[in-house]
Amino acid sequence: MDHTLPWLILLAPLLSAILVLLFAHRSKSLSVSLSLAAVFVSLIGSLMAFGISPEALSTTFTWIDLGPIFKLNIGLKIDALTKVMLLVVTGIGALVHIYSTVYMAEDSAKSRFFGSLSLFMFSMLGIVLADNLAMMFIFWELVGVSSFLLIGHWYTKESAAKAANKAFLTNRIGDFGFMAGILLVWSTTGALGFSEIQNSIGKLTENPTLLTITGLCLFCGAVGKSAQLPLHVWLPDAMEGPTPVSALIHAATMVAAGVYMLARIFFLLEPSAIALTVIAWIGAITALMAALMATQQNDIKRVLAYSTLSQLGLMVAGIGVGAWAASMFHLFTHAFFKALLFLGSGAIIHALHHEQDIWKMGGLKSTMPKTFITFLIGTLALSGFPGLAGFFSKDAILLSAYHKSSGIFVVGLVTSLLTAFYMTRLLIVTFLGKGRTEAAKHGHDCPAQMTLPLILLAVLSVIAGYPIFAEFVFGHENFHAVHAAPHTILVPILAIGVFIIGTASALAIYKGKNNDPIRISLFSNRFYIDEFYAALIAGTQDMLASLSGWIDRYLVDGVIVRGLSGAAQGTGYLFRLLQFGNLQGYAFLFGAGVVTVLYLLIK
Amino acid sequence: MNQLTLNNYLLASGLLFTLGFAGVLLRRNIIIIFMCLELMLNAANLSLVAFSRFHVGADGLPNYNAQVLVFFIITVAAAEVAVGLAIIVALYRARQTTHVEDIQSLKF
Amino acid sequence: MLTILLLVPILGAVSLLLGKGDRGLTKICALLQTALTLTIWFAYDRTKAGYQFTFASDPLLPGLDLRFSLGVDGLSLLLLLLSAFVSLAAVWLAPKAEKRPQLYDACILLISAGVTGAFASQDLFFFYAFHELALIPTFLMIGLWGSGERQAAAWKITVYLALGSIILLIGLVDLFLAIPSPNRSFDLVKLQQIEMHHLIPVAKQLRPWCFLTVGFGILVSLFPFHSWAPTGYASAPTPVAMLHSGVLKKFGLYGMLRLVVPLLPDAGKLPVYSNWTAMDLLLLALLGNILYIGLVTIAQRKLDYVIAYSSVMHMGYIFLGIASLNLIGLTGSALLMFAHGLSVAALFAVAGAIREREGSLSLDRLGGAAKSVPFLGICFAMATFASIGLPGFANFASETMVFFGAFKDPGSSFIRTATILSLWGVVISAVYMLRAYKSAFLGAPTESSSKWADLTGSSKLVLGSLITLLLLGGFFPKYFISYLKPTLELALR
Repeated sequence: MDHTLPWLILLAPLLSAILVLLFAHRSKSLSVSLSLAAVFVSLIGSLMAFGISPEALSTTFTWIDLGPIFKLNIGLKIDALTKVMLLVVTGIGALVHIYSTVYMAEDSAKSRFFGSLSLFMFSMLGIVLADNLAMMFIFWELVGVSSFLLIGHWYTKESAAKAANKAFLTNRIGDFGFMAGILLVWSTTGALGFSEIQNSIGKLTENPTLLTITGLCLFCGAVGKSAQLPLHVWLPDAMEGPTPVSALIHAATMVAAGVYMLARIFFLLEPSAIALTVIAWIGAITALMAALMATQQNDIKRVLAYSTLSQLGLMVAGIGVGAWAASMFHLFTHAFFKALLFLGSGAIIHALHHEQDIWKMGGLKSTMPKTFITFLIGTLALSGFPGLAGFFSKDAILLSAYHKSSGIFVVGLVTSLLTAFYMTRLLIVTFLGKGRTEAAKHGHDCPAQMTLPLILLAVLSVIAGYPIFAEFVFGHENFHAVHAAPHTILVPILAIGVFIIGTASALAIYKGKNNDPIRISLFSNRFYIDEFYAALIAGTQDMLASLSGWIDRYLVDGVIVRGLSGAAQGTGYLFRLLQFGNLQGYAFLFGAGVVTVLYLLIK
Repeated sequence: MNQLTLNNYLLASGLLFTLGFAGVLLRRNIIIIFMCLELMLNAANLSLVAFSRFHVGADGLPNYNAQVLVFFIITVAAAEVAVGLAIIVALYRARQTTHVEDIQSLKF
Repeated sequence: MLTILLLVPILGAVSLLLGKGDRGLTKICALLQTALTLTIWFAYDRTKAGYQFTFASDPLLPGLDLRFSLGVDGLSLLLLLLSAFVSLAAVWLAPKAEKRPQLYDACILLISAGVTGAFASQDLFFFYAFHELALIPTFLMIGLWGSGERQAAAWKITVYLALGSIILLIGLVDLFLAIPSPNRSFDLVKLQQIEMHHLIPVAKQLRPWCFLTVGFGILVSLFPFHSWAPTGYASAPTPVAMLHSGVLKKFGLYGMLRLVVPLLPDAGKLPVYSNWTAMDLLLLALLGNILYIGLVTIAQRKLDYVIAYSSVMHMGYIFLGIASLNLIGLTGSALLMFAHGLSVAALFAVAGAIREREGSLSLDRLGGAAKSVPFLGICFAMATFASIGLPGFANFASETMVFFGAFKDPGSSFIRTATILSLWGVVISAVYMLRAYKSAFLGAPTESSSKWADLTGSSKLVLGSLITLLLLGGFFPKYFISYLKPTLELALR
C-alpha cells in the first residue's frame, strides 16, 4: 500500500485527463465528475501520506534505460517537504475544481477545461513527487504545457492566445538555464537523484566557480516558473485565463514550484555565497518592483497578480538569505490566502458579468457580504495583520533577513508596507462606497459551490500560521527550521508598524474616492518593462531573424547556390555565342581553319 | 609554244576552287551557293585528272586511282544535287525564299 | 518476408502504371506494407544484435562480393516502422490528383518502395541504389504536381541532391578502397563486424569521412547545404513533403550511423584547418542548423516554409547526437530520427489539409481554425508540442538523450559549448512553432476558416496513429530503445 500510494496520487489525474480529453469530451457532466473524482483521490491519498511512518518513501519506474551508463528514472519520493506541497496542491486543487463547476458552467468547452485542469494536477504533482532533477524537469515542462492550455482556454480571444504563448516562451527561457544546470550537475557528479547528488556534493564543491554557475543555471528555471525579474512579464498577462486557473496555477501552485525547487536543491546552493546573494537580491528587487506596480493597477486580477509576484519575490529572497524553511512556510500560507483572494475576485467577476475594472465596482460589501468577509480575511492575511497566517510566515522570512542582510530586510519591510497599502486600496475601491455601475449595484453572492471554497480557504488563512497546525503539516524538525533564526522583538514590531502605516495611508487616500487620486505612470505602465522587452525582441531576435532570413535567401541561396548554378549556366551561354547560325560564317571559319592548318604545316 | 605542265592545271583548279569557295561564302542565294559548291567539286576533279595524267607509272600507264575517284565524286555529286535541290525546293515552298539570310531559325 | 514487403509497393506501382487500379489499390498496398512491417516488428528478436529476416542472392558480379541481400536490425527496423506509418499517412491524406492520378499514386508507392529498400538492404550498392530510386519519383512529383514555383524547385532539388549523391558515391568508393583489400566488401553485415572497426588506419580516415559527411550532409540538409530543402518541401505535394522530410531524408543519417560511426571512428579527431578538427567543423555546421536556421525559421511568414525550415533545423540535433559518439547520444539521435519523422509528417499533413481548404499557407491570412477543424487543430498542436520537445512525446526523450550524450565525455572541447548553445535552439523552436500555431489555429476565426470541414473517418485514424506513436515513444522510450541498443552498441565497439 505504501508504495502504491504515491503512484495513486500522481496517476489519478493523468487517467482522468486522458479519459476526459480523449473519450468523455462529448459529455460535460461526465468530464466534470471524472476530473473531480481524480482530484479527490489525490487529495485523500495526500492526506493518507501524512500517516506514512517512514520519513522518506520512494519508488521508481525506469523511463530510459541504457544499462549502467545512463538511466533516467521516474522516481517518486514522499518526505516532509513533499507532504506540505501535496497538501497545498491537492487541497487547493480540490477546492478550485469544486469552484469551477459553477464558474465554468456556461462554458462551451467545459470538458477541455476540466481535462486540462486534470493534466495540470498530474504535472504539478509530478514536480512535487519527483526524486530526481530530470523527472522534475519533465514535469516542469508539462506544467508549462498545461498552463499554456489553460491560459489559452478562450483561444479565440487574440489576447488570450498571445498571453498563452508569452507564458510558454518566457518559461522556456528559464528552462534553458534549468536544463543547462541539470547537465552541469550530471556531468560533474554523475547523478541526478536529489539524495545521490547530495551524497556526491563534494565533487561540485571542489570547484566553486562551477558550483556557482550550476546553482545560478538551476535558479534560472525558478526565475522563469516563479516569475522573478527579469522573466516576470508572463504572469500578469496569464490573467487572461479563467479565474479559477489564476487561483490554482498562477497564485498557489505552479508559480510556487520555483520556490519549491530551490528549497529542494538548497544543499546545492548553500555552499556558494555568490549564488545565494544573487538569488536574494533578485527576489528582493522583484518583491519591491512588483509591489510598486501593484499600487497602480486597475484590473482586480492584475493587482492580485502583481501581489503574487511580489510575494514570490519575498519567498525567493528568503531562500537567498538561507531561510528555505521560512520560505516554504510562506509558500504554504500564501497559497491559501492568495487562492482565496483570486477565487473571491472570481466571484465578483462572475457576479458582475466579467467586469474586472475596480473603478467600475464599489459598494459590494452590502450586496456580496460573504464574499466581502472572506476577501477581507484574505486581505488582512496577506497584508500581515497580526494573528493571521501571513503575519507569521512573513515574519519568519523578515527575521532571517534581519540577521543576514540589512538591505534585504529593508526591502522586505518596504514591500510589506506597500502590500498593506495596495491591498487596502483594492478592498476599499471594490467593496466600500457606492456602486459605480449598474452591474455593481446588482451584485449578489454566488452559489454554494463557489462560496464554500471561499469559506474553507478563509478558515485556513486564519489558522495556517499557528504553530499547532503548521507543525503538524511541516513535521517537527522542519517546523523548527522555520524558526531557526534567533528572535528579536524588533522585527514583529516593525512588521506591525508598516502594516498600520500602509493600511492607514490607503484608507486616507482612497476612502470615498471614485477615481484614482494618484497617477504614477511609471508604476501603472509596469516600469515600461514589457515595452522594453518588445523593443528588445524586435531589436534583437526579430532583427536577427529577418537578417538571417535575408542572408539565407539572398546570400546562401541567392549568391552561393544560384552563383554556382549560374556559373555553369554562364559558361554554357558563352559557348552558345559561337553558334551564330550563319552557314556561310561557319564555312568561312572552316576555310580559315583549313588555311591556318595548311600554313602551319607548310611553314 | 610551251608544253602545258601540271602546274598550269593545278593553277586553273585552284582558281576554280577559290571562285567556288568565294561564291559559297559571299553569295546569298542558296541556288548560287549550291552551284558554287559544284564548282568546288569540279575543281577537285580537275586536279585529280591532272594528277592522274602526269603521274605515269613504270608500265607507262597513268594512275587510274585518281580517275576512279573522279567518277565517284561525279556520282555522289549527282545524288547530292538531287537531294540538295529537293531540299531547296521544299525550303522555298515553306519559306518562299531562297535567301540564306532569311533562314536563321537555328540561331539562338 | 522483407522481399514481400519490398514487392508490395513495387507491384502496386507497376499495376498503377499499367493503368490498372486507383487510390483504393494504393491504400491497400500501404495497409499491407504497414501490416507486414508490424509483423516483422513484433517477430523480431530484440535481445540479439545483428541482422534478422535475412535474404541473399548469389553474387551478381564475379570477383566482387556484391549481392542483392535484405535484412533488418533494430535500427533499420525502427526506420522501416517509421516509413510504413508515414507512407500510410501519406497515401491516406494525399489530396486527389487532378491530372494523371494513377501516375501520382504510383510515384508515392515507388518512393515508399525505395525507402524500404534502402533501409532493408544489407548491401552497400543496393543501399545506395534504392535511395536513388526513391529520389526519382520525388523529383517527378514536385515537377508535375507541386505548387508555387514547382519547376524551379524541382530542378533545384534534383541538381542539388544529385550532386550530393555523387559526392556520396565518391565517398563510398573511397571508403571501399580505404579498407585493406582482403577485407573489402559491399556487405554491410561484414562491414559491421567488430574486427572491421579499427581496420582503416587513422590517417586514412579523414578523406572518406569528409566525402561521406558532406554527401550525407547534403542529403540531410546539413548547414550550409540546406537550401534545396525549404523551397523543395514548400512546393512539393503533401505526400512527397511527408515522405521526404519524414523518412527519405533519414537515409543520410542512417548512413552516418551505419558507415561513418563504426568504420571511421577516429576521423573526427583529425585536424582539418589549423587546430580545427573535423568534428569541430561538423559541430559548427550543426550549430548553423540549430541556431541560424532557427532564426531563419522565425522570419518565415508561410506555414509550409516554417515547417520546412524547422525540419532542417532539427537535423542539427540528430547530428549532435551522432557527433557525441557514445551510446547515449547515438540512441538519442536514432530515436530522434523516428520521432522527428513522425512529427514532421503530421505537421506537413495538416499543412496540406489547410492548403486544400484555403489555397494558401500565408500565416497572415489564416486564423482561428481550431474552431471549425478541431481535429486538425489538435493534431497540429500535438505535433507542434512534439517538435518543440515537450515531455510526453518521443522527441523529448530523444533530445534529452542527445543532450546528455553530447555533454557526457567531451570528445572535443567544443562539444559542451555546442550543446549549451543548441539548448537555446529549444527556445527558438518554441518561438516559431507556437507563433505559427497561434496564427493558424488560435485567435478569431477568419471568414474562410470558419467554413472549413474537418477530417473524417479513417483519415482521422491514420493521422491519429502518427500522434499515438509519438506518445508511445514519449511515455515508453525504453521499449524502442531496447530495439536500438544492441545494434548501436555493436556500432560503437
